Amino acid sequence: MSASMTAPLVRFDGVTYRYPSVATPSLCAVDLEMGPGLTVVVGGSGGGKSTLLRLLDGLVPQFHGGRISGSAVVAGLDPFRTPVPLMAQRVGLVFQDVETQSVYGTVEREVAFGLENAGLPRAEMHDRVDEALGELAIEHLRGRRLTTLSGGERQRVQLAAVLAMRPRVVALDEPTSQLDLDGAAAVLTACLRLARDGRAVVVAEHRLETLLPAADRLLLVEDGRVSSTTAEALTSHVEARPRHSFAASEVVWELGDVAAGPAGCSAPVLDGISLAGAAGEVVALVGPNGSGKTTLLRTLAGLIPPLAGTVRRPAGRTAYLPQNPGALLHLPTVRAEVELTLRRAGPPRSSSAAAADVAAMLAAFGLTALADRYPRDLSSGERQRAALAATLAGSPALVLLDEPTRGMDHAARHALAAAVRSLTESGSAVVVATHDTDLALELADRTIRLAGGRAVEVAASVHVEVAAADRAAGRAVAAAQGAPR
Amino acid sequence: MSIAPRVWLLWSLAAVTVALSTDNPVYRALVALVALNVLLTWLPPGRRLRPLVAMLAFAAGMAALVNVLAGHTGAHVIARLPAGWPLIGGAFTVESIAFGGALGLGLVAALLAVAPLSLVLEPHDVVDAMPAPLERTGIAVATSLNLVSGFGRTLTAVRDAQRMRGWKPRGLRSWYEVLVPVVLTAIEDSVLLAEAMEARGFGAGRRTTYAAGRWTRWDLAVVIAALGAAAVFVGLRLAGAPIDWYPYPALYLPPINPILVAACLALALPGLAAPDRGRAAVEAGA
Repeated sequence: MSASMTAPLVRFDGVTYRYPSVATPSLCAVDLEMGPGLTVVVGGSGGGKSTLLRLLDGLVPQFHGGRISGSAVVAGLDPFRTPVPLMAQRVGLVFQDVETQSVYGTVEREVAFGLENAGLPRAEMHDRVDEALGELAIEHLRGRRLTTLSGGERQRVQLAAVLAMRPRVVALDEPTSQLDLDGAAAVLTACLRLARDGRAVVVAEHRLETLLPAADRLLLVEDGRVSSTTAEALTSHVEARPRHSFAASEVVWELGDVAAGPAGCSAPVLDGISLAGAAGEVVALVGPNGSGKTTLLRTLAGLIPPLAGTVRRPAGRTAYLPQNPGALLHLPTVRAEVELTLRRAGPPRSSSAAAADVAAMLAAFGLTALADRYPRDLSSGERQRAALAATLAGSPALVLLDEPTRGMDHAARHALAAAVRSLTESGSAVVVATHDTDLALELADRTIRLAGGRAVEVAASVHVEVAAADRAAGRAVAAAQGAPR
Repeated sequence: MSIAPRVWLLWSLAAVTVALSTDNPVYRALVALVALNVLLTWLPPGRRLRPLVAMLAFAAGMAALVNVLAGHTGAHVIARLPAGWPLIGGAFTVESIAFGGALGLGLVAALLAVAPLSLVLEPHDVVDAMPAPLERTGIAVATSLNLVSGFGRTLTAVRDAQRMRGWKPRGLRSWYEVLVPVVLTAIEDSVLLAEAMEARGFGAGRRTTYAAGRWTRWDLAVVIAALGAAAVFVGLRLAGAPIDWYPYPALYLPPINPILVAACLALALPGLAAPDRGRAAVEAGA
């Protein structure tokens, strides 16, 4: 741990919290002190990480309601009683989904929103906006419309908006879950710079490869209990999947010289793409944000017609998991979601066989205990698992997964890997678009990198090196920022 | 050249005042044409008019249809339905068609007059346009505009996801599987946005504004012309001058007053300016 962690900026004493209408506490008897430096919060989905972050600026309990006991001091204020808008001047919180937290349409004004709320004079606001944009090296984005930015750029804009308030505590909820390697490294660099400036920076994250080497402190949140942990306890070893080669006769899906782009686009995002995949094969699509991974999946799914070229899919069902699991879930229970897909997907079967299939699918994704919960009440990782179970049920011939590990903990990732293996053994072809290099390494028979509208196959040896480089990036950024090793 | 957000607000208010202060279809048509020209001149690249046009056609069509079906007076009868039929029973007349058309035209003119507030301005411009006491209303409007564009994206995502699970559009009831997740997602997004806004200090007390809000001479000219046009219409109405057109009991041509025509044309001033496309290009990342 760093020697710089001295006076506590955050102190919780015996904090227990229950959300309204929930019997079990989401946080239980939390005793915690945090000083300046980078604190990484880890733990399973639904364990209480996001709730812990929301305690810092008083959103829990003031915005969410519920019952709380114990006491807390954050940046010198009581977050349970100080109005959240006042807490916001000392505690900055960047949420998981950057698209739903934007108020204004352009970068400069979005960064200034909090300053306007604080009632600062115009000249000071301009100085602070300049400073925050400079601190995150995004001055060049100043006049841009938010909708034109990549995920990494938007995440940094939201961080700049928080920094402009000059908070003493900065909390980020899964800031890199949707980012490519460069975007994640940029956010990590920004976090480390803040930590070195004497702020307490708290990051809840599942994607640890870049963060662990840089962390001053690691907190494990599981079942509402918070404890310290070590990097060694969290490091997992990823086994690369033995590569299979497939004969041309086994090809079941094919893109022939395809040009494609989102509906209404003037220029294609993909141009001259020729790819094919076999039954039982897993193809991973990697590449930076905006490189066309989602467009390729949607074209292959038949959701958008190609601007040129041909698309061939296997007979049978094509399963498609979109990036936002909320797009799927609309029934009262997780079980009902899986039942609906099975009912539509396969031939009629007896009620006992159908029930067994549903139970097996729920168990495969660790959802048995959540089977009768309303899907939208679940944490983001749990919701993602529910969407996966609802998507993959019923032996689809072609499986298309768009960022399937978003918000997922390690256990859920392993469950996903096992489910995909099971599908390929029964002959399904799988295409997965992901920033998660470890997942690609663990699952893929082939890895295709998309960039500049083109697709290039990544050799297996290079793929292993990329995954290793992903993990090393965190160490490199940490070293550049003078972080402990 | 650019036009200050508050100038847009005042121009829109003036144009709506003109459009709704008279039943005369000539003045309403003039306002609609002038507003359309202004909109086409200032529409930023990448923004589409098609949804607005569809909405205008629907609104105008419905207004006209309701008047034709429910208004049974007029000298020139085209057809009749049995008088016993509730609401729509009775004569259909040329006069009711003409007056229905004028009603629809009024709606079109009014909607085109306020369209720049959503199609030309950015959400933060809407906040800047509001006077201080209404600034929070402006933020509510701005965030709503953000959510509206998100609503369209969600609808596409949900429809596609459900299609891949075997959903097919078969009548109104089948849309349940699409509309429920769309509405739930919109509600969730609204709650998340409210949470994010509070976490960024919204509601802490007196707000200040980042934008300088200085007006140019052009801004001043646009405001004077627009408010002048509105003042002419309101003034003549208060003075009892005949500015309306009521085609009952027998159809006649709407009267035309040159002063009122000039007032309508004064609203065209923003359409004579050349927008600063450099700013739009920067915003779009070009």
